Amino acid sequence: MEGVKKVRSACRSCHGGCGVIIHVKDGKVVKVEGDPDSPISHGSLCSKGLAITQLAYHPERILHPMKKVDGKWERITWEEALSLISEKFKEVIRNYGPESIVIGQGTGRDYESHLYRFANLLGTPNVLTAGHMCYVSRIGATLITCGNLPVCDYEGEPKCIVIWANNLLWSNPDEYKGENFWRAYKKGSKLIVVDPRKGFLADKADIWLKLRPGTDGALAFGFLNIIIKEKLFDEDFVEKYIHGWSEFVKRVEEYPLERVESITGVEKGLIAEAARLYATTKPACIQWGVPIEQNINCTDNNRLLTALMAVTGNLDVPGGNVFFVPPPVRTVSEFALHKELSPEQRKKRLGAKEYPLADRVALVTPKVVWDAILTGKPYPIKAMLLCGTNPVITRANAAEVYRALKAVEFLAVIDFFLTPTAELGDVFLPAATWLEQNYVGDFWKRHGYVVARQKAVEIGECWQDHKIFQELGKKMGQDKWWDTVEDSLNYMLEPSGLTWEEFKEKGYLKGEMVYRKHEQRGFSTPTGKVELYSTILERWGRDPLPRYREVPESPLSRPDLLERYPYILNAGLRIPVYFHSANRMVPWLREIRPDPIVEIHPETARKHGIKEGQWVALSSPRGTVKQRARLNDGIDPQVIVAEHGWWFPEIRDPGHGWDVSNINILTDNDPAGYDPVMGATNLRVLLCRISPIEKEEMV
Amino acid sequence: MNRRSLIVFQEDCMGCHACEVACKQEHNLEVGPRLIRVVEKPPRYFSIYCHHCARPLCAESCPNTAIVRDANGIVRVKEDLCIGCKSCLEACPFGAMQYHEGKEVAVKCDLCYHRLLNNDLPACVSVCPTRSIFFGDAGDIREEIVSRIIP
Repeated sequence: MEGVKKVRSACRSCHGGCGVIIHVKDGKVVKVEGDPDSPISHGSLCSKGLAITQLAYHPERILHPMKKVDGKWERITWEEALSLISEKFKEVIRNYGPESIVIGQGTGRDYESHLYRFANLLGTPNVLTAGHMCYVSRIGATLITCGNLPVCDYEGEPKCIVIWANNLLWSNPDEYKGENFWRAYKKGSKLIVVDPRKGFLADKADIWLKLRPGTDGALAFGFLNIIIKEKLFDEDFVEKYIHGWSEFVKRVEEYPLERVESITGVEKGLIAEAARLYATTKPACIQWGVPIEQNINCTDNNRLLTALMAVTGNLDVPGGNVFFVPPPVRTVSEFALHKELSPEQRKKRLGAKEYPLADRVALVTPKVVWDAILTGKPYPIKAMLLCGTNPVITRANAAEVYRALKAVEFLAVIDFFLTPTAELGDVFLPAATWLEQNYVGDFWKRHGYVVARQKAVEIGECWQDHKIFQELGKKMGQDKWWDTVEDSLNYMLEPSGLTWEEFKEKGYLKGEMVYRKHEQRGFSTPTGKVELYSTILERWGRDPLPRYREVPESPLSRPDLLERYPYILNAGLRIPVYFHSANRMVPWLREIRPDPIVEIHPETARKHGIKEGQWVALSSPRGTVKQRARLNDGIDPQVIVAEHGWWFPEIRDPGHGWDVSNINILTDNDPAGYDPVMGATNLRVLLCRISPIEKEEMV
Repeated sequence: MNRRSLIVFQEDCMGCHACEVACKQEHNLEVGPRLIRVVEKPPRYFSIYCHHCARPLCAESCPNTAIVRDANGIVRVKEDLCIGCKSCLEACPFGAMQYHEGKEVAVKCDLCYHRLLNNDLPACVSVCPTRSIFFGDAGDIREEIVSRIIP
């Protein structure tokens, strides 16, 4: 096309990272394409990234700051918006202390750097993210076990890949994208899939382990049992690098295969076969997803999978689970200035005593915030600033989240659209999409790359999130900021010897990989070994060994509920065209997936007279929502699998149908169901019932 | 240019719909016509797309000769000749022919002809994460089928 300028950049429609070429004509983005030279995505690009122009130029996108006056949104200037927020924050600090302000974000996005820097300089220890049950929980658990997050080394050509509770071809597996897995798989690697549902990968697997939802920890014990009993472990590694082996073995022996079979519902012969295939095929890696983290066993599940990698000698070897070496740039943790937060303020972190691992990784679990807002205990939360998050849709017990956000005295929201969460706010700040920003992308990740995200256009008065935190920080009188975002990027890149201008020409940086780092310097734990027996958990007065706990609402733990709620709900089925609660307003994507889908077994459908495509009511002890039934014989008849993240931008009232199909109306956030050290919320497994909706009174 | 077409290896399609959105973007299409479409029947996914038949029934059915197979083997709609009668939609054995409500004409895959002129792959092929869509001439396609079926 005539007059088209091409800008090489990096997507961030999910967590980000895929290489893109942005086509700009007359100051407007007309197209995006995959970048064939990207080391992360090799030219492929998903529907979410490809539809970015429809999101960025959406007629309902908010392109200027706003404040709410008498229940109505009014356009204001950035100057007024920042003044409103900073004046309110100063008042809260004067009257209650900075800890009464909560700064929050949703899914992992790389503005974490600037968000945490702002919060730490503000002096609040209360940063609310999704990390308590997604990814950061994995980092925390592996940090205390083996010093770092072990990531599948697809480029190292694993010969056996275990996909444990992850649909990585649709969702973003946080580090590498599914495309890299696929390349490794197509080279002929064996495939083991752990999933209650027969998805695309389970259908292809050499072994599919169809477990009862929520029993992953028990299944991992089953693997370990076989590996230890049949001496399939790497004796040399165990002897040199495992701390607490004999205690660990004793714990594993508490889970003989018969017990594991009765808990998981997976036939014991198949478990043994899978364990043998994983332990004897070298190298092998385990790719895991958030379902194992979004429940009561979060930390121990992560620790058990790490144990599998360690005892089979697959830790930090080519094609195993490795610790990628980051490129020489400042770390997100250094940039975030965690050391600026005083010990006195840190001690005030909500839930720090109850959830020491969450405290260790500097975040809070949501319910402590809702409780502090609604009860004023242990101290009141008076103001919030939320960036790129829609907790009314995405956090457990949505009704309580809605009540709390409605009740909080002051709420400022950074987003693209007036989401159900943003509608509850007092000030709205319009964020730039990834088309409109300069950034060292992916620098919070652990895959060994940073990628240049380049600004192609500016739209309206939108600011990139990083700039919002920087300018608000300056307004608050914080002196550790720069004149421009690019100055902060220069600081970030300094150790590499590159400026932002030089880096963006280069496109990306890769760390120089070294394997088997433990042979030189051990593991970064207190004992220098892989702590299957955790000295840190012991110091915290917790069980130093992993164990399996039954989720609080299952057929085994609550047989009394079965009569009213006979089915096991597996919530949070991923959707390829959406990312959590995002994108429902994008026409190209909504055309593909217009309605929320719940999968049920054909036998269940027959029993209740439900037809394919019919709207059904799903109920738990917390409430009822509606979704559309799809029949799938690849799940157990007692299991029901439902999508998450649903609201309806086309419903005009400010609630935008937040409680119509939102699966978190059904989930529970009772702390009894939390991971005991991380505070991970159960977003996945609960009991439910289903019934057809006869008249389609739907949206 | 040799006569070329594309083929979707269904066993490798994992249902992400990237091809659909890439196609929409490339052809500037709003909601409605879907020149390639992935039908979900988990755990399997099936694509509906134009095969650029050697004897295209869509062209044969057209009362106004608005559909032609050009010298490169690409079956294309001449929009100015299309009278919007939808005969081709009925005739296509693959369900690939689409109708554009706004323009009141039939629309279909043109293999991203404008991209081919720049030696770029069709948009759908270029983005597919599992490389399940293959583009080439009849010989290439035959060889690809053989190599994918016989490991």
